[in-house]
Amino acid sequence: MTRGCDLPLDSYRLAHYSVQVPCYVCDGGNTYDAELCRHCFAPMALAHQSQAHKTRPSMVAVLGTTGSGKTVYLGMLMDMLSRRTKPLQVLARGAFSVSLQQATTASLCHCQFPSKTPNEPDHWNWVHCQVRCQRMRRPFELIVPDMAGEALVQEIDHPRTYPVIRSYLTKCAGAIILIDAIRLQEGHDQDHFSMKLLTFLSELVDDPKEGWHKRPVVLVLTKADQCDGCFDDPESYARTHSAGMWNQCHEQFRATKIFAAGVAGACASRATFGGGQQRFPLRIEPRGIVEPFQWLISQIPLRKK
Amino acid sequence: MMSNIVSFVKRRPKWCAAGVVCVTLAACGYVYPWITAGVVAAMVVIMAAVRFGWWKRPWAALRRRLGIAVAQPSAPAVSAEQLAAATRRPPRKQGQTVPDLVETMLAQGRYALLLRPQIVENLSENQMRITLAALQEKMALVPAGVVVMSRLDIDPDPDVWNERREAKESRKIHVEPVFLDRVAVSNFQFQEFVLGGGYEELEIWDEAVLPAMLDFVDQTGHPGPRGWLKGQPPTGLESHPVVGISWYEATAYARWCGKRLPTDAEWAKAACWPVSLGDSNWVQRRYPWGDSFETRRANVWASARQGTVPVDHYDNGLSVGGIYQMIGNVWEWMAGPYGSSADTTLSLPAPMKAIRGGAFDTYFENQATCQFQSGENPLRRKHNIGLRLALGACDLAPQAAALILEGESVTEDQLVVG
Repeated sequence: MTRGCDLPLDSYRLAHYSVQVPCYVCDGGNTYDAELCRHCFAPMALAHQSQAHKTRPSMVAVLGTTGSGKTVYLGMLMDMLSRRTKPLQVLARGAFSVSLQQATTASLCHCQFPSKTPNEPDHWNWVHCQVRCQRMRRPFELIVPDMAGEALVQEIDHPRTYPVIRSYLTKCAGAIILIDAIRLQEGHDQDHFSMKLLTFLSELVDDPKEGWHKRPVVLVLTKADQCDGCFDDPESYARTHSAGMWNQCHEQFRATKIFAAGVAGACASRATFGGGQQRFPLRIEPRGIVEPFQWLISQIPLRKK
Repeated sequence: MMSNIVSFVKRRPKWCAAGVVCVTLAACGYVYPWITAGVVAAMVVIMAAVRFGWWKRPWAALRRRLGIAVAQPSAPAVSAEQLAAATRRPPRKQGQTVPDLVETMLAQGRYALLLRPQIVENLSENQMRITLAALQEKMALVPAGVVVMSRLDIDPDPDVWNERREAKESRKIHVEPVFLDRVAVSNFQFQEFVLGGGYEELEIWDEAVLPAMLDFVDQTGHPGPRGWLKGQPPTGLESHPVVGISWYEATAYARWCGKRLPTDAEWAKAACWPVSLGDSNWVQRRYPWGDSFETRRANVWASARQGTVPVDHYDNGLSVGGIYQMIGNVWEWMAGPYGSSADTTLSLPAPMKAIRGGAFDTYFENQATCQFQSGENPLRRKHNIGLRLALGACDLAPQAAALILEGESVTEDQLVVG
């Protein structure tokens, strides 16, 4: 004997899946409940937040080789701007945006540098924040990822290895390029990498109206507190130790400026199990962290909603 | 013609007056020759007496005959040669009396030299009291006792950081009584060293650093801290702590003052003021004012000053002994090296000297505590490292140390200036 009964169908829930949600970085289609974009592994929360707040956040890239200090710089920058209101103030959008400064400050507080950023894009920390500036009436949205230096090098040497990098840099409104001032003093590998990176950026977008040659580029000499004369005159220091990069930067980019920054007052090394050496900071005294970002923000044309 | 005469008189007034006198005397001599001769002779004698001071001797003899007390210059308590030998410098001014030299040294802040056993016996009682008063005013006594020094480094694994491990790896160090400057050395104080030729006195400098002394110049090439101009501190920052000096410059200044840099144990004891609870248990303050950090008590990054403040600010951040700004404002050079010789895993890019106290740009509060130690290359002249001086009680003359340690203070009535 059979009985009939009424069962409510939840098919209406499937309606969400019928519409693809475009990734904010690569515009690739994804399902509604996807956490990461299946094409570029950028967090889908960026797209959802953009749609929810009806904003179009600007994107800024922090680039540099392995060990140049991207994670420390970005983590300290976000933490410093979130603790102060002048001249800039940053408010995080989404819990995932606090992960980077949380991990960075937790390590630096115990006199240890954060671990190396993995090459896999799904392990990168993304920051989506609202920036309030005194010179602007309205705050604006900003997205900044902490990309791995090795991944960047591989993308430059072998294009399309990491599509997320190419997609992201194509849409970026500006870039902060970190250069290790100590390694710049010791050799030319930083100079050569910077030249390759600048060339890569300049050829990324062919549009003469919106190409990278019109976008602001900031060069930051990191670990400058351990180099004599770097803080006094970063331009002169860069011109002396990295003439090729300096010339290329001024020739190919319209808006560019060089800054010096430092986080650790002094560093030492400690032997680890296995015979390696691990560097650690002796103290944390940030210097020149906010100024490059402040200049870059002042140069970026804000997107209209 | 009259205008020519007037202009000539204006150009040569003395000559014209002498000419008039000669003509007058000639006319009188023609009429009264002997009277004129007598007047001329008297004028010559008077002029000679004024020129060579002949008039003072009869006046002094007259005063003695009349019984009027004649002020005799007091016998010098300390000969100029003895003081010069003690300070390793010739007297500042030729013919300068010793009381002036003592006052000069007190004004320069070099009272510690006057309290040395070789010198103090030659000071008058009043001079000694004035010098002791200066010591009590400028320095705080840190009594003898035990201080518990925590581990020099912080374990990277926060799960491992617990009280039992800290107690196991801490060290108890006994500290002798020592005096510590109540305030860090200011630009004004250091300027006395620069103006006094401290950079040229090679005897007070370490021999190993003599080749590097050419780099110890300011922005204009004059000897001085890194941020100065033409041997002068930045305008408006005279009362701020001196920065931009290397460890060697700090040591030389300390020697010039007759003091020295504090050791880590002395500094930590003055800051955390340990209290014994018996059975080898000690309670120490995390900060000079207590265990919780407050931005209103110290100048660190969280205080949002973005620079140094005068050395006597932050009254509510005093240590128990009455010392200002042991935490914050500027790091302070210590006498000893950074790190432990027993730590074989530590690798430094260069031999480093210890610094303590935190500075205005120290970001984390746990790196501006009484126990936290950092290190820096002794040749570096950084914008946030200054110094504070110490003076061991054993370096004082016994009678001076006894007066201080027994708690006898000098009142204003006992001070007779001049």
